Amino acid sequence: MSDLEPIAPRYVVRPRRRASPIWLVVAALAALLMLPIFVNSYTQYIVNTILLYSLVGLGFNIVLGYLGQLAFANAAFFGVGAYVSTLAAARLGIPFWISLLPCGVFGGMVGLLVALPALRLERYYLAIVTLTMGELLRWAYIHTDAITGGSSGVAVPDPIVFGHALTTDAQKYYVCLAVTVSLYWITRNLLRSRLGRALNAVRQNELAAASLGLSPVRVKMIAFAWSGFIVAIAGALFSIVLGRITPDSFDLTQLLLHFAIVMIGGLGSLAGSLIGAVLLTAAPELLRNVAGVQEIAFAMLLILVLLLMPQGLSGLLTRYVPALRDRFFGEEP
Amino acid sequence: MNPVLQVDGVTVRFAGLLALSDVSFSLAPGFIQAVIGPNGAGKSTLFGVISGYVKPESGRVTFANQDLTGWPPTAIARAGMRRTFQNGGIFRELTVLENVLTGIPQAWDFRIAATALRLPGIRRREAAAIGHARETLDRLGIADIADRVAGELPAGQQRLVEIARTIAARTQILLLDEPAVGLTLGELDRLGAVLRQLAAEGVSVLLVEHVIDFVMALGERILVLNHGEIIASGTPDEIRSHDAVLEAYLGRK
Repeated sequence: MSDLEPIAPRYVVRPRRRASPIWLVVAALAALLMLPIFVNSYTQYIVNTILLYSLVGLGFNIVLGYLGQLAFANAAFFGVGAYVSTLAAARLGIPFWISLLPCGVFGGMVGLLVALPALRLERYYLAIVTLTMGELLRWAYIHTDAITGGSSGVAVPDPIVFGHALTTDAQKYYVCLAVTVSLYWITRNLLRSRLGRALNAVRQNELAAASLGLSPVRVKMIAFAWSGFIVAIAGALFSIVLGRITPDSFDLTQLLLHFAIVMIGGLGSLAGSLIGAVLLTAAPELLRNVAGVQEIAFAMLLILVLLLMPQGLSGLLTRYVPALRDRFFGEEP
Repeated sequence: MNPVLQVDGVTVRFAGLLALSDVSFSLAPGFIQAVIGPNGAGKSTLFGVISGYVKPESGRVTFANQDLTGWPPTAIARAGMRRTFQNGGIFRELTVLENVLTGIPQAWDFRIAATALRLPGIRRREAAAIGHARETLDRLGIADIADRVAGELPAGQQRLVEIARTIAARTQILLLDEPAVGLTLGELDRLGAVLRQLAAEGVSVLLVEHVIDFVMALGERILVLNHGEIIASGTPDEIRSHDAVLEAYLGRK
């Protein structure tokens, strides 16, 4: 009797509204695969950074946008991924591609740890408690110098993928691209399912979610683990793209960048994470040669977006391109 | 017939104030029962106790021979009881279709790994769920608003969406908190017909309602609450001519 059985379907199913533009996806992928032929090493490096920061936005958005929890442990997830992957390679000789998945799992476990205060605290209290996570870890990196190299950091060995050491930015690009595309695809699949709807349900009305058999506690735990998983993998990519990590790479400035990517790109938007990453990693590089302008532009952008576009740039964009709007259900029958 | 829901001597106190006092009644399978009473009579508190949101000071709630007292709302929902909320329990930023999809059977069964990889079984399951959700919307006559964002709809339609969400899974008990508020006459008729149909299929319906005509037409049995106590219980005709009810509820002497 405990199973809820569906009412016998007798509805004549509507045809799908539109065919998915598969050729568009194929063309985009082909262009992305050929990109290294056309760009120099510096541009390639920036593209790699954009890719990994789009993952940062994607992961942060799960907790901040979809679940709606004001949790700021993102730089902690990021740092854990970078350090675990780098130390596994530098100290234990574990190849990058083998440590990548365990790295994500590690990040997921840190995510579960952060979920614990999220079950009890709300809003600003949660924000403060989770902020300390990153600072605590940074302190740990500095004071365990025998392993982490302390505040001077640690050099990241050339990543080994299937027995080959990757030395050029173009080679690293393909790793970043493969990982980013896979995690985007996986996240999209999860959002267009019962889990994606459950995240929204818990954000919008916990009492109502519970009345449908959705456990807010379980949904929050899953979301934090999922977020930690993605951001830790982004951290691992960050380490190989940069080539050296220090505790200061994971300080509040890093967290502010993550936050800006999500807010400017768009809360709770897959496209927004990518838009935010492009804007906040490419724009500073373009303005690099004009001293001081970088910070001013960054601050202006953040203020403008928060004032004029609370939904971020993706919110503006989806008004004109409805297809970019996230949906939380799968394919029609 | 054994009652599907049995409420025994439930008492609830909020900061010393008696919200429910020794309330007992039972609900038979396939029955539509209404709870009426003036504002503050304890109707919503009673719903809260039955669905696990309010812990009673004393008394028991038994559902299909299981003692539910003290169970969390999630567990009660999974056991086969669904409710709506007086102040609107829809997910405002989701579309109507997505709202109804949160109420499908086993909505909590995520199958994360298989879903992440979009395995065929998951795709079939999701497609079946969408077809079923559309059918549920059709049943309530709101299939045409499936893709609208729920929070932008008029209040009456939001209420219908919430009801669609609760009946998207076959439950044994439906608790509807003021389902008729804001509905047009046509929508009321439709809702009444659907509830009667569900009852005929064996679903027990308990509703709190202010729209008296709706209650009198639909309820097979009516409980009257006043100041946290049941002051009358009977068929609509009996209630209509009950002295205590006329006095307390309809305000006549």
